[in-house]
Amino acid sequence: MKPFNQNQSPTAMNSEAPTENLETIAQAQDHFIQSIKDATNNPDDLIIQSFPPNITLIYIDNLVDDQTLNNNIIADLQNKPNDTPEILMAALSIPEVTVTSLLIKAIEGIINGSVLLHIEGYPQVVIANIASRESRALSTPENESQVIGTQVAFNESLSTNISLIRRYIVSPDLCNEKIKIGRRTNTAVTLLYMNGLASDQMVNTVRQRLASLDLDALIDSAVLAEMIDDNSLSVFPQMLLTERPDRFCDGLLDGKIGVIVDGSSMAIICPQSFTEFFQSQEDQNLRWQIATFVRLLRLAAFFLSVYLTPFYVAALTFHYEVIPQAFLVPLSESRALVPFPPIFEALLLEIIIELLREASARLPTKIGQTIGIVGGIVIGTAAVQAGITSNILLIIIALSALASFTSPSYMMGNVIRLIRFPIIILAGFWGFYGIMLAVCFILVHLLRQSSLGAPYMSPFYPPRLKEMRDSIIRMPIPLTAKRPALTRSKDDYKFDPEPIKPKKS
Amino acid sequence: MKNPLQLNPKDMVNTYLLFFVMHSAQIGVGVQGFQRIVFQDAKHDAWISVLLAGIATHIVTFFMIKTLEIYGANDLYGIQQDIFGKLIGNVLNILYIFYCFMSFFSILRNYIEVIQAWIFPSISAWFLAITLLIIIIYAFTGGLRVIVGVSFFSVVLSLWIIPMLAFPLKFSSINSLLPVLETDFRSILKGAKSMTFTIIGFEILMVIYPFLNDKKHVQKYAHLSLLATTAIYVAVMAVSITYYSNEEIVKTVWATLTLFSFISFPFIERFEFMAVCFWMLIILPNLCLYLWAAYRGAIRLVNIGHTKFVWLFAFFIFLGTLFVQTRIQINAINNQFANIAFYAIFVYPIVLWIIAALKKKITTKKEQKNEQA
Repeated sequence: MKPFNQNQSPTAMNSEAPTENLETIAQAQDHFIQSIKDATNNPDDLIIQSFPPNITLIYIDNLVDDQTLNNNIIADLQNKPNDTPEILMAALSIPEVTVTSLLIKAIEGIINGSVLLHIEGYPQVVIANIASRESRALSTPENESQVIGTQVAFNESLSTNISLIRRYIVSPDLCNEKIKIGRRTNTAVTLLYMNGLASDQMVNTVRQRLASLDLDALIDSAVLAEMIDDNSLSVFPQMLLTERPDRFCDGLLDGKIGVIVDGSSMAIICPQSFTEFFQSQEDQNLRWQIATFVRLLRLAAFFLSVYLTPFYVAALTFHYEVIPQAFLVPLSESRALVPFPPIFEALLLEIIIELLREASARLPTKIGQTIGIVGGIVIGTAAVQAGITSNILLIIIALSALASFTSPSYMMGNVIRLIRFPIIILAGFWGFYGIMLAVCFILVHLLRQSSLGAPYMSPFYPPRLKEMRDSIIRMPIPLTAKRPALTRSKDDYKFDPEPIKPKKS
Repeated sequence: MKNPLQLNPKDMVNTYLLFFVMHSAQIGVGVQGFQRIVFQDAKHDAWISVLLAGIATHIVTFFMIKTLEIYGANDLYGIQQDIFGKLIGNVLNILYIFYCFMSFFSILRNYIEVIQAWIFPSISAWFLAITLLIIIIYAFTGGLRVIVGVSFFSVVLSLWIIPMLAFPLKFSSINSLLPVLETDFRSILKGAKSMTFTIIGFEILMVIYPFLNDKKHVQKYAHLSLLATTAIYVAVMAVSITYYSNEEIVKTVWATLTLFSFISFPFIERFEFMAVCFWMLIILPNLCLYLWAAYRGAIRLVNIGHTKFVWLFAFFIFLGTLFVQTRIQINAINNQFANIAFYAIFVYPIVLWIIAALKKKITTKKEQKNEQA
């Protein structure tokens, strides 16, 4: 395992340059400028400045911090005599300065936002890293908002995200490894874990999966999460994508492994079990009774959302006997005018709901609200009045759509949204038998999944009673001292599990 | 002791999961309608027959574990090869694989029958067989861990059915059980024997034993699971006897399901419609475990991959469902199978233990002689 924070600086990161590109830097100024121009395809924002008598300064305009360039490099160059690269390096008052004689390193430096300083007659170049990347200010989490808890989300800048994490976990044990992914994009990907908590084997697995990826481009972490999943073909995500630094850090402290992709505001946390997708970070901040209630509510919502509409379709198509007499009258009244069989009616409404959902997600915020009103009220009422659907189905569909939003993870919410459709179709053709087929199939499918080789259904299967205290329920904090066995953590307990008994004073 | 199994520790399962494995393997289609066949002989003392059958399972399991302990880490197939030699052992192994096949088939066919009788009279058997087989194949190809997982969830997710037995209690009269032991003992024993089809399944222990990681606690969890099964069967039997009148129970084919049909909630009536479909989850581990047991035997005989094996197996099962169509045929198969199973499960393991113990004594004596000489 590498010690913490090795390879942190972007210049040192490029130390593993391929050995076949050993072209050295030209001594003559003209040759050097031409070689840089050739290698970078002579972009218009390549700035070449000469400082008499013998210094050339090259950088890409949009990548460097202008203020630092003016105050700390140009000012220094004008005041001092410059003889050799070593003296020049010492003269510059910026922290990340290196000297290299390899052209490829110079190129990598310049595209990462460094300034190249070349001295006529020397086969070396000084690389001064003054990169500045455009990024937006930190904002509140929009996809995973919560009432009680921190109100800050990751943004697209890797260094900002890491500094956020380092603020939550102030410890030298926080390990940070940089890997480059994407032959064309050279995206910086950071692997984060807690030394002494994360299992070495799992860290190796993630490291190896990241290293063996041969991608052309990597734009977002969601793509990476899908690529390094245990089973990329499954509809269920096996790694959590989160935009909350507190959730991310909580995962690291459980012995999980985090991956952050530069340019992406979602961080990956793995291994992740199925139940953990239904846990919100807010549950930790609430009293345990309330947290338990909310978690059970979410679980109920999951089942409601997936099985309520199929149940309606199955009962109305095949099993009228199941519906109680008192309920049969209003049901048949509301369905009296509907010309379609229940399966068609249900699919129609489900698709309308999905259309609304997709439309309001894609449209600008202001119009999105209008769409909600138009869709919810106008289409809903009109559909019932036109006799296309029954009132009761409308309630059921709205309820299951609402329930699918309660999942704290948007990725899992999408899964719930999708798996409803095949179940409705099965229910429409084979009634309760079809629903049960789906239940068994999903159960077997979930049992077959793993996350970084750890069982996906943990802590229920394999059953671990102690960890079930913090699963679909949440027991008081003193009782949940054990870290999840899912992560195979080296340190089993978060704290001494002895109950704290405050002295009466 | 030949042929010990070399297993990867990754393939091992925790011993306490044996509780769920054996319990889920025992409870299956039989419980839907075992009351009638037991009641025919034992009358209102049928619950004593059930209890006796339960005790018999404890005794047999005790000897099974004794036999397995002699060999350490080996399953029934290896033990048979060791005791009877390659030839006879393999013949017995084939017979046992065939037994698993028959068991699988009769469970599947009975469940299909129940679905057809209660919910979809017009749906064809081959369709039900294919849909169920697909799920079983999917579970089986996941390996033992998935199969044990299915057993676990099958037991845990079905727990809510047990309190449903309280509903018929409202209409039942305890007097139906009295006087106790009115039936003569022969009939009670005969009733116990008719429990065979319902109570078998625990023989999976003979195959899964080498996969358990802690052999010391096998006795404890095996007997606990048998105890749980027996308790459930006795409870169901007692409720049925007190609920139905004497003649009614003999005429009811699926007495447990009929019990459920009186249950109603404010939001749902005719509960048995749900129960019949839910039973799929209860028979799923049954089927997976028998399939797996057959596979363990098959790889001892021929070099066959698990995908190839499972497709062959499923194909023959499917052919079977095409040929066995009527209720009479199914009944005949059930009776024949129960007869075979009685000797294979209740008599044979004890015989096997005696032979294994004798053989062990002889070999240890020989070794002692060799050491002295």
